[in-house]
Amino acid sequence: MPRRRPSKPEVNVLRLLLLWFIMMGLLGTLVYRLWNLQVAQGMEFQRRLVKQSLRSVRLPGSRGRILDARGEVLAGNRPSYCVSLHLEEFRRSGGTARTVDHVMDTLYRLAEAMDRPLELQPRDVRTHLGRRTPLPLVAWRDLDEEAVARFVEHAHQHPGTALTIESVREYPFGPLACHTLGYVGRAADDQSPQAGSEPEQFHYYLPEVAGRSGVEKRFDGVLRAADGGKIEVQVDVAGFKFDEVSRRDPGQGSDIELALDVRVQRAAEAALEGEKGAVVVMDPRNGDVLALASAPGFDPNDFVPVLASRLWNQLLGDERRPLYNRATAGEYAPGSTFKLVTLLAAMESGRVPPSTRYSCPGFLDLGRTRFRCWQHWGHGSLDAQHAIRYSCNVYLYHAALHCGAEAVQEMARACGFGQTTGVGLDFERPGLVPDNVWKRRERHDSWRDGDTCNLSIGQGALLVTPIQQAVYAAALANGGTLWRPRLVRRVVNANGQGKEIPPTRMPDGPRWSSANVRVVREGMRDAVNAPDGSGKRAAVPGVVVAAKTGTAEYGAKGSGLKLAWLVAFAPFDSPRYAVALVIEEAVSGGTTAAPQVRQLLARMFEELEGLELSRPEAVARPPATGAPGGGAA
Amino acid sequence: MKKRVQAWWRVWLAQDFLALLTVAGLLATGLAFVYSASWRGEEIGLAGAWFSRQVWWVLYGIVAALVMTAVDYRFWLRHAWWLYLASVVLLALVLPLGTRVFGAARWLNVFGVLLQVSEFAKLALVLVLARVLGGGAIQPNSLAMVVVAGLIAVVPFVLIAAEPDLGTAAVLVPTIVVMLLAAGAPFRWLAAIALLGAGGAAAILSPLGSLILSEYQRERILTFLDPSRDPLGAGWNAIQSAIAVGSGGVGGKGFLNGTQNVLGFLPRTVAPTDFIFPVLAEEKGFVGASLLLLGFAVLLTCYIRTAWTARHPAGSLLVTGIAGLVFAHVFINIGMTIGLLPITGLPLPFVSSGGSFMLSTLAGFGLVQSVHVRRARREVNNV
Repeated sequence: MPRRRPSKPEVNVLRLLLLWFIMMGLLGTLVYRLWNLQVAQGMEFQRRLVKQSLRSVRLPGSRGRILDARGEVLAGNRPSYCVSLHLEEFRRSGGTARTVDHVMDTLYRLAEAMDRPLELQPRDVRTHLGRRTPLPLVAWRDLDEEAVARFVEHAHQHPGTALTIESVREYPFGPLACHTLGYVGRAADDQSPQAGSEPEQFHYYLPEVAGRSGVEKRFDGVLRAADGGKIEVQVDVAGFKFDEVSRRDPGQGSDIELALDVRVQRAAEAALEGEKGAVVVMDPRNGDVLALASAPGFDPNDFVPVLASRLWNQLLGDERRPLYNRATAGEYAPGSTFKLVTLLAAMESGRVPPSTRYSCPGFLDLGRTRFRCWQHWGHGSLDAQHAIRYSCNVYLYHAALHCGAEAVQEMARACGFGQTTGVGLDFERPGLVPDNVWKRRERHDSWRDGDTCNLSIGQGALLVTPIQQAVYAAALANGGTLWRPRLVRRVVNANGQGKEIPPTRMPDGPRWSSANVRVVREGMRDAVNAPDGSGKRAAVPGVVVAAKTGTAEYGAKGSGLKLAWLVAFAPFDSPRYAVALVIEEAVSGGTTAAPQVRQLLARMFEELEGLELSRPEAVARPPATGAPGGGAA
Repeated sequence: MKKRVQAWWRVWLAQDFLALLTVAGLLATGLAFVYSASWRGEEIGLAGAWFSRQVWWVLYGIVAALVMTAVDYRFWLRHAWWLYLASVVLLALVLPLGTRVFGAARWLNVFGVLLQVSEFAKLALVLVLARVLGGGAIQPNSLAMVVVAGLIAVVPFVLIAAEPDLGTAAVLVPTIVVMLLAAGAPFRWLAAIALLGAGGAAAILSPLGSLILSEYQRERILTFLDPSRDPLGAGWNAIQSAIAVGSGGVGGKGFLNGTQNVLGFLPRTVAPTDFIFPVLAEEKGFVGASLLLLGFAVLLTCYIRTAWTARHPAGSLLVTGIAGLVFAHVFINIGMTIGLLPITGLPLPFVSSGGSFMLSTLAGFGLVQSVHVRRARREVNNV
């Protein structure tokens, strides 16, 4: 080959050296670059790697329980058995469609084995694969024992399937105290119980429930665990779970101890059986709400885990409005129960001392309008105590006109009317104490004596709620202390440390002289215990009950719809229970409400205090056209 | 007869054992990390397949290297033009007849075996250039060297680039420059080539470049300049590769424990081939990656030493050309995985999975050994 200079090697050593230096230099730059990437910026790349391959999942904590005064569980948690699929074990190469097919195929076979209808559509599987790839897919929830047994028998044939347990809200007493307890629903995904206490952001949130009404809603932040658990999973490039990296168990929510007593609540709901109405039972010594019932009700268990839309529409469409809490949101005319307020206002004003006597001919003419007493032939001449006993309208007209509407309005507000009680349940209404300002604004008219007469007997535009009436009844029972209704007595955290919620008074309570209160209280006692009292059907043998009945028309004028009220306390000498009860579409306070309260009080004294009572015979409701009871139209 | 046997033995005893040891180390490293990059492939049906194929390729390659060592390199130099002609014809045949993978016709189906013709064309080109530049027919330090070399190289270059296989084509340029440099071409013309290359790169990146490069090639180069502009598209590999290398840290995450690799962020289809380096860098860290580079540095030093001690200038040039090929592959392959160069499909010599490439690399190694055993200072008889 080499022809010209065959024997003389012409290897250019210097050039080879240069070449070697260039090559080593360039390899050196590679090493330098590697140092930069791996050592200098290593942490940054590590962070980027974590960001793209680690997913954090928030685990909800277990929700605190709601207990009654004696520790009975009103709202708790029960395990629900689920069948879940770990999708990373179902993936097939060749696109999502093949994976979905494989999952559906397994689901069909499991459905057959468990004898359960298929609950997931291919669409659901696809959605899960797209959005929550590393999380298990829950195929069935809330399986019964038989289904669980059948699944366990077949599970080994379907790798990647597992039995999992979810915690589910449970209300052991069903509809009991449903309006007070409320219900739960699924929480929005990133809705942490207390914003700020949990600065972590998660990629995925496991379903958590949130209180939607009642105590469940009002105390949601306490019932839900403040800090959730956390699982970190490593995902592969397709988003499937590869491994669980770390796990932190969730915290536990606090338990809530209500003042409510299941026995009283049961008795209260029995008193409303088949009616539309509400009852509130309070302890006049500290404002504890022993029972708070509204009828009709619903079963909060139906809302777990999710309320079927059919059932929801049925609840919403029901004319009797079962979701509506009449005890706190129901605004009703108080009827004659309000006469006590009027009388106290008149007596406290000093213009109408208790001994004042007015004559009742059965009516009072005011200009061209005649205001009637419910007893057409009149009560004759009577004093304050008797006016309560007989619920005489004319006496109250005189008393109110004498002391003036403003004194009555002021007393009503001092007794807690016209403002919410702050019991803490949603949609609580303030009611309405009409006055001059209100009338000018709403009716474009000035306040007249006729308005004063209507107000004095609890008619006209005046509106009160059952819970306000209970607070007011408790004040009458204890001689003038206006307690804020206390629903929750204690919050107990997961470590067993309890925090008492002390009883509190309303800011501006009424100031009653003891002499005046005595007159009213004795009038109430007589109304029940005198043979001719307006509330004699509320009498409980062996216990001195004091009560005031009330009847009010409502709805369109002339519709004939009446409300029956009874506010009561017992025992007369050392009151332990104050009750306010209202029933819609009733006959009158004396005939409709009084027997129900008697039944309620009798059960309470029997069950709570062991009082031996001869069982009162069931008092049949008189026909709708029966004798009048308490108030006037 | 006895003499012949003695000569036969002396061929093997005169080998460059340091280079041999280095290559053995590189091959072992390659096998280990091809395994690491593919053992998780079960769900896509690839587990094991990569590794066992690699074992076979390494074995074939070793046979090729032995044959090349045994045969006097001058035999190949003598027939260099025929080899060159054959490779050009085959390259021309690949275009219409080649098996297409992802739109590129690079493989020729020879009795059921897919051969990447360009791999052998590279060796043929180096052989013919070594013969022409080292034969003494051309005046050293003249423009004629550059022109002749350019004319010889342009045919296979265009044919390879047309497949399209820009990576392999790009490797030819530094190889030729290395050979010209060693052959004594004038520096000013080499500088001119470098300028031309820079100008070409600029033309490629301008919108006019779409006349020269297909869209995906242009995309790759543009992505190189700004990987974040399309993280799930063409820039994906560059970003994931940088994350794999960077997150390896100093000591790495351990063999078979590379997160990027195991979780499939480094695409499983390219991890054992073009992206074998990030797999190693992630699992063995800066220490392992530097050791690998040290291995290549040692091997290249051995090659340069062989070129230095070669008995004939053509043999010296042949070795320099092969060293240039190895170096270009190493630099471009690693450079692209650590963000120094655009992503092109180019394997890492001795390490990456790939049949034709393994065969040609080890054949090249055999050629170098063939030159080494017949070096100037120690006379070795022809076999």
